[in-house]
Amino acid sequence: MQATGDLAPVVTITSTPSMPNSPNIPPAMFGAGGPMLKRFDESTLASRINSGASSPPPSVKGIGKKVAKPDYSEQKIVVAMVGLPARGKSYLSNKLMIYLRWLEYDVKVFNVGQLRRTKARQKAQKLGVKEVHMADFFSHSNAQATQSRDSLAEESLETLIQWLKEGGNVGIHDATNSTRSRRAKIEARLAKEKGMILIFLESLCDDPATIAANVELKVSQGDPDYKDMSPDAARTDFLRRIKEYEKVYETITEPHLSYLRITNVGEEVSMSRINGYLSSRIAFYLMNLHIRPRNIFFSRHGESKYNVEGKIGGDSLLSPRGMQYAKALPALITDNIGEKPLTVWTSTLKRTIQTAQYLPYTKLTWKSLDELDAGVCDAMTYEEIEQAYPDDYANRDEDKFNYRYRGGESYRDVVVRLEPVIMELERQENILIIGHQAILRCLYAYFHHLPQADLPYIKIPLHTVIKLTPKAYGCDEERYTLPINAVDTHRPKPKTVKPPGTQSSTQRRYFVEDEEDMKAGVVA
Amino acid sequence: MVAPLYTTDSGLLFHAGKILVITIGLPARGKTHISRALERYLRWMGVKTQVVSLGDYRRKTLGGAQKLPPDFFHLGEKSPETIALRKKISDGCEQQIWEFFKTGQVVIYDANNGTRGVRQTLAEKFHDKGIHVIMLESVCDNKEMIEANIRSVKISSPDYRGWDPDKAVEDYYIRIRDHEENYEPVEEKDWPYIRIINVGEKIMMNNIKGYLQSRIVFFLMNIHNRPRTIYFARSGQSLIEHSYKADSDLSPAGWEYAEKLKEFVVERRAKSLEQRGLKPQDQRLVIWTSTRRRAHHTAWPFLQAAAPSRSGSLSFLNGADTEVSTPVIGTPPGDGRPPLTTHPTSPLNIKVIEKPQMSEINPGVWDGLTPDQARKYYPQDWERFVKDPYSFRAPRAESYHDLSVRIEPILIELEREKEDLLIIAHASVIRCLLAYLIGLPASEIPAIEIARGDLLEVVPASYGVHCQAYHFWDGPGDEAMKPWDANNFYENYAEDTKGKRKGISQEPEASLSLLGAI
Repeated sequence: MQATGDLAPVVTITSTPSMPNSPNIPPAMFGAGGPMLKRFDESTLASRINSGASSPPPSVKGIGKKVAKPDYSEQKIVVAMVGLPARGKSYLSNKLMIYLRWLEYDVKVFNVGQLRRTKARQKAQKLGVKEVHMADFFSHSNAQATQSRDSLAEESLETLIQWLKEGGNVGIHDATNSTRSRRAKIEARLAKEKGMILIFLESLCDDPATIAANVELKVSQGDPDYKDMSPDAARTDFLRRIKEYEKVYETITEPHLSYLRITNVGEEVSMSRINGYLSSRIAFYLMNLHIRPRNIFFSRHGESKYNVEGKIGGDSLLSPRGMQYAKALPALITDNIGEKPLTVWTSTLKRTIQTAQYLPYTKLTWKSLDELDAGVCDAMTYEEIEQAYPDDYANRDEDKFNYRYRGGESYRDVVVRLEPVIMELERQENILIIGHQAILRCLYAYFHHLPQADLPYIKIPLHTVIKLTPKAYGCDEERYTLPINAVDTHRPKPKTVKPPGTQSSTQRRYFVEDEEDMKAGVVA
Repeated sequence: MVAPLYTTDSGLLFHAGKILVITIGLPARGKTHISRALERYLRWMGVKTQVVSLGDYRRKTLGGAQKLPPDFFHLGEKSPETIALRKKISDGCEQQIWEFFKTGQVVIYDANNGTRGVRQTLAEKFHDKGIHVIMLESVCDNKEMIEANIRSVKISSPDYRGWDPDKAVEDYYIRIRDHEENYEPVEEKDWPYIRIINVGEKIMMNNIKGYLQSRIVFFLMNIHNRPRTIYFARSGQSLIEHSYKADSDLSPAGWEYAEKLKEFVVERRAKSLEQRGLKPQDQRLVIWTSTRRRAHHTAWPFLQAAAPSRSGSLSFLNGADTEVSTPVIGTPPGDGRPPLTTHPTSPLNIKVIEKPQMSEINPGVWDGLTPDQARKYYPQDWERFVKDPYSFRAPRAESYHDLSVRIEPILIELEREKEDLLIIAHASVIRCLLAYLIGLPASEIPAIEIARGDLLEVVPASYGVHCQAYHFWDGPGDEAMKPWDANNFYENYAEDTKGKRKGISQEPEASLSLLGAI
């Protein structure tokens, strides 16, 4: 390699005197004490001075870099739900929101039922007038109530449009939108806004079991509409409410509209006039969903030799205690899953393959599940990193999600790389993933819908199996810790942060409790 | 996740079954374009796929249209000979389909199938044998698109050899007109169908389910056939050329290369746009780079030329990708640095996007080693690598297979992109992308030669792509000068494994035109 001019200290590895000569021991290149480290530092220094550009690109500084958050400002999509009550509209809205948020789109669900209840509650508090939202309220022949419901839907749509204008990407209008005239109104309203794309998402369900389960959920989880009512009375009323909707329900057939129709949550999908990148992504995602009961298990590999030494990355083997874990794992899993089929996914790194070795199930190795690449810091301890690169160390603490190791990856990069894994997970049934800390943090955050800033601090301890049971409105979680000691590899965020929620998130929340939640759009 | 996860010895995805895609549409509606694109994508996914084209089969067995009886394409009473002839051809095609299904998984039957009766009979025949049938209708109501299609594809077919182009177009319109009278669009709901309007502009479907089917739909939603050009160039030479982890900055030679690349692309593109009757200022060039420094720094001169005097902020856009639209202009170049061109008269109309999936192949423990060192320290691994450079994965490294999986989202975005595209990437990534576009089998990917200093120009066409290489630069890091840069090992797998086939010529100044994927 020859450079023009004499400015660059050209580094060649072949002449490194410190390189061991014995075969089968490769020369240490990077990492703590490697001969490359110093040279590498010199090279960045040189390039900062000598790069031929009239101004160096912004990335020529520091060893790692923080990547700016992508901006999706060009995307403005309104997804309007269509469907009878208890057809899983909220479920789909929620799933879609979680998926798109995970892909870093700004998404918010605008639930009309929520708005109605909140308003009624406010009215009750202020004026002491209690509105009754029994089935009659939802009857089409009740003109006053119909008008009131229409205006609620419109109000919610206006809020949605306003929110999109303020920078949102995808607004989901979670309402029944069950008649042609209602849909025509939405269409007419959005035609006035420039650059907003409207997609209808109809959820059909003809499986009595699914509907019954949805009705039960509504009745049993304390819907304020049915406060102070016996479950039976509530059920009867809710079924009457559905009847009222059924009387006027018109399935979406308008040929000029863009729509997706999902039957029995992903069993069948048909679509019309769907185009554009995000829309096609949404369609593809929904095609892969299913709601058959299943479990997803996460486990980190057993304690590795590097874990014991406090080093990050690498491709080390398991420690003796890690091996113990590998041996204990099959009994735990088999007890849990019984006769049901299970597939085990591991990364391509030795420690996960070793951990999975005694499991009597089909195993697949995924390159995409490999641990976050720590680049030049691979195989170093945190102390060594702090010493060698104090600035970068501080940078990483400041914004761990966005910090990309020099020559390696950031958490954000990992999220991008895991997207196909998520898609595949949605399609599959029982899966056990033997993975790594950073990888499982990302996947866990997806299923529990945790914010990016908290993601790098999620606690995924060693020798613990996390069992997730996807439910209609989130995931139930159980943790099984095997009584085999292991080092703690968790590094808390330096300043105090609120611990990420790990409790069950399947409860339906009917009231938006505070302003903060209102802003965050937590409605499920 | 795409195929690679599911690639099996038999080449069949175990849970998908066999699928027959029956294309429906009038002539010149882009059926062939769609069929070939789908075939290319499915093959890339590792699914054994074959297009059976009725037109090709007819020409092969009976010769060009001149040799056919005059009533062959026309309506009305047909002579018994013609009926027999037509039957012979469709039977022959069906025979080919059955033949392929013995080992393959997806057949795309590229024919008009314009009447309900014809496709019903055909679909039933295959459905009865347990094959999933999908109707794929291509509707086109855009006259310009049809005319362009006729001119670019149809009249160059053997049917019109030696014809005057205008006469040939006229004759072809007559052929279509007869079909039009008879044509019945897909309205029956008996079969799953996909209707594509104006090649991807709109898409409708009925009753589509299944994994492979949903992938097919996702793909079809993202294709188009607008004319465009895709350029490929390698990133410039970096200071620590042979290390992945170092992610080092460009060397002075690298900066010079970047500058030359910009000049050459601008010049080359001006020429080709002129031929298409377009002005470069109106046509935006989108540049994709990886998030590796050597790649996005190579795009730096473009950014500078895009913003002649403003000093502005950085803005970001699109996906997890980072777009840099207005660079910060700093101090002018000092002594000893490669000369920078002064700002061109009009700023370049460009957009640069960094894509994290486009990093080069990760060499794992072999990072920083020369081939000799790798051979010395990892003799067994090395042996396996040489035997199967496509799927072998050194410890902690990525194989080409892994890389292919990683860049799958990029392929979809590549299909989607409507504007001209310059991809500044690493040799390994260009190999995979090029193999996809040309339709090369996976095993040949590591052997494709990509020289630094070459600009590859790829123009998608109906039957595949036209690919041409232009050499614009000689200097350090250019393998055309030396046999290859021994230190930059992972960027040069090909040179060390003696490819079976030379994908791209290394001759200076243009050469070899590949009409791939046929």
